[in-house]
Amino acid sequence: MDYVLVILADASQLRRLGLISLLNRMKYPFHIREITTPDKLGILNPRDLVGLFIISSAFLRKCTPAAIQSLKLKLNSSIRILIRDEDDIPPDNLNFSEIIDPSDHDKSIIRKLDRHLSLFSLEKGSAESPEEISDREKDVLRLVAAGLTNKEIADKLFISTHTVITHRKNITKKLGIKTIAGLTMYALINRLIIPEEKN
Amino acid sequence: MQIISKMKMAEVIHLNYHLLPIISRFGIHLGFGEKTIEQLCNEYAIDVNFFLVILNSYHDKKFFPRKHLQGFPLKLIIEYLLKSHEYYLEIKIPRIEQLLRQLSVQTEGLGEESLRLIDQFFGEYRQELSSHIEREEEKVYPYVFTVEEAFESKKPTRDLVNLIREYSIDDYESEHDNVEDKLYDLQNIIIKYLPLPLDMNLCHTILMELFRLESDLKDHARIEDKVLVPKVRYMEKWINDHFIS
Repeated sequence: MDYVLVILADASQLRRLGLISLLNRMKYPFHIREITTPDKLGILNPRDLVGLFIISSAFLRKCTPAAIQSLKLKLNSSIRILIRDEDDIPPDNLNFSEIIDPSDHDKSIIRKLDRHLSLFSLEKGSAESPEEISDREKDVLRLVAAGLTNKEIADKLFISTHTVITHRKNITKKLGIKTIAGLTMYALINRLIIPEEKN
Repeated sequence: MQIISKMKMAEVIHLNYHLLPIISRFGIHLGFGEKTIEQLCNEYAIDVNFFLVILNSYHDKKFFPRKHLQGFPLKLIIEYLLKSHEYYLEIKIPRIEQLLRQLSVQTEGLGEESLRLIDQFFGEYRQELSSHIEREEEKVYPYVFTVEEAFESKKPTRDLVNLIREYSIDDYESEHDNVEDKLYDLQNIIIKYLPLPLDMNLCHTILMELFRLESDLKDHARIEDKVLVPKVRYMEKWINDHFIS
């Protein structure tokens, strides 16, 4: 999976824009799809792996029970988040993992989302676009961060030292990080390695 | 606009406030009233030409009168380099550390781990910069003085010639590794990869401090590479050529 598919089901453009700007402030490679009316929920393909499903209670109220039932099947492995209206008793027909209140400020919303996304990205792995490092480059990066030499990395990944060097050049070019210490810090911050793995 | 000796120091600061730390490195403090550069230099016993060349080379990257700077005694150049070392280690680095600590305090839980990593990384950077500086001050500069002394006395000894053959300024240049790379990495990690939310204003302040430190270090390295090294290389060559065993 190259990105986290986010479905934003809400009729209010203002709220959608607000959420998108918050999501963009997070480091995840999101692919955001907006749904403005319940009838458009049908375009969701069961094969789409929805990572994050965000819906407002106003929107949810407009959905028919059948629509909710079919949504449940499509959101099998998604994180489901409800944006609650003021004084709203949250409906629990979608097993929400998190509820965002109208009074939440930006930091607490990001924290709520991050709580789930951090687990998610560990399981699913994250970005891969021309600008992002590829899975193979990540393998090399992990070993570089673990302190292995080019030769050791080559042996471990069954590739030539020359290929390792090419990967390292590309990693440095893409990330803008030149030193091993810097690459290690990047790998730790992005949870490519866990601190124990370092030694 | 080139800075000249008849200019008032206050005008110079208005022209380019980035020169403030350079001026203070020469021991000149604020409150200069209407005094010109020349007057202040006389007052503080500073070589006015040298002062101007340093100011101008920081002020305008294109201004680099290599020949001119090379005419100054090494003692002046090295004294200046020592002063900038002191500025990095005693003012600049502690300031950035203080800002990083402030950032850690203001972060409530989230991103704590990343900040700890950044602190640690910056600690390593500081360590590297200090040992680099230490090496220059304890090994390279004394060597440079020895070479200059022999060159000026025009009487190179066998010991000195052996010393030059063993260790020359070119070795120094090649080991003059880029401590800058780490600084660059740190900037990029803060710009591109720090998880949010953090105090953005504080992050910007830290970045600006890092960029300023980087640019100061670059100017510093320029003086070492373009002035110190060629000057010493020239003297080494002369000594080698004129030593008759």
